[in-house]
Amino acid sequence: MPIQVKLFASLRERAGWSERLVAADELPATPRSLWRQLRLSDGVEAETARAGQADALPQGIRVAINQAFAAPDAPLADGDELAFLPPISGG
Amino acid sequence: MTNPCTIQLCDQPFEPLEALAGWQRQLEGEALGPAAAEAHFIGRVRATSASGAPLEALELEHYPGMTEMQLAQLSQACAERHGAEAVLVIHRVGRIRPGEAIVLVAVTADRRGPAQRCGQELLERLKHEAPFWKREWSGGVGTWVEGNTAW
Repeated sequence: MPIQVKLFASLRERAGWSERLVAADELPATPRSLWRQLRLSDGVEAETARAGQADALPQGIRVAINQAFAAPDAPLADGDELAFLPPISGG
Repeated sequence: MTNPCTIQLCDQPFEPLEALAGWQRQLEGEALGPAAAEAHFIGRVRATSASGAPLEALELEHYPGMTEMQLAQLSQACAERHGAEAVLVIHRVGRIRPGEAIVLVAVTADRRGPAQRCGQELLERLKHEAPFWKREWSGGVGTWVEGNTAW
C-alpha cells in the first residue's frame, strides 16, 4: 500500500501539489528518503538548505506521521500519512 | 482527573466576549463554575503586515485533524502541569480581516497564578506546536509568514 504524502502552505505552493500517493523507491522508507525521492528540495533557496548535507531537510521543515510530529528518520509503514510542515505561524 | 478542554476552529468571525459568556454558562452547567480565578487572552489581526504595509487580510491554513488534536493535547498537558480547572481555545482559520479576533485562550483555576501561567504557556506552545500557517495579503500579493515573533 502506498504512503499518502501531504504538503502545506509554502511547501505545497512551491511543489505545485498538496497530496500524493507514493510508492517508496527505497525500503525502509523514511520521511527523509521520500523528501529526496520526491525532489522536494528543488527550488529551495541555497541558504535554507543545510550546506554539505544533501540528505538533510531544509531548516525549519518538520515532519508528521499519521498526524503526530516525528523524526525525519522514523520508519514509515504501508498506508501511513506523511506530512511535511513548513515553519508554523499560529496564534 | 481529566480537565475539561474545549477546542474550536472557526472559519467565520467570532465575538470573543460572547464565546466567553457561552463557555462560562457551559462550565456552570457542569457545576464547575464560576471559577475563583479566570485568565483570558484575545489576539486580533493587526492592520499592517510584517513589512509595515497596510494589511488587507490574513489567511490562516491548518492541517485538518492534526491541528485540533495538537490543540487538545497541548491544552490538556498545560492544564495538568499548572493545576488549571478548565481550558477554552478558539482559533480562526481561513481569511481573517484586520481587527477580527484570531485566537481566544481562557483558563479557569482556583488561583490567579495557575490560571495566568497555564494561559501563557498554552498560548506560546500553540504558536509553535499547532500546525497553522499565516499568509499576509497586502496590495493583492500574498506572503507566507515563516515562524513567530518572539513575544
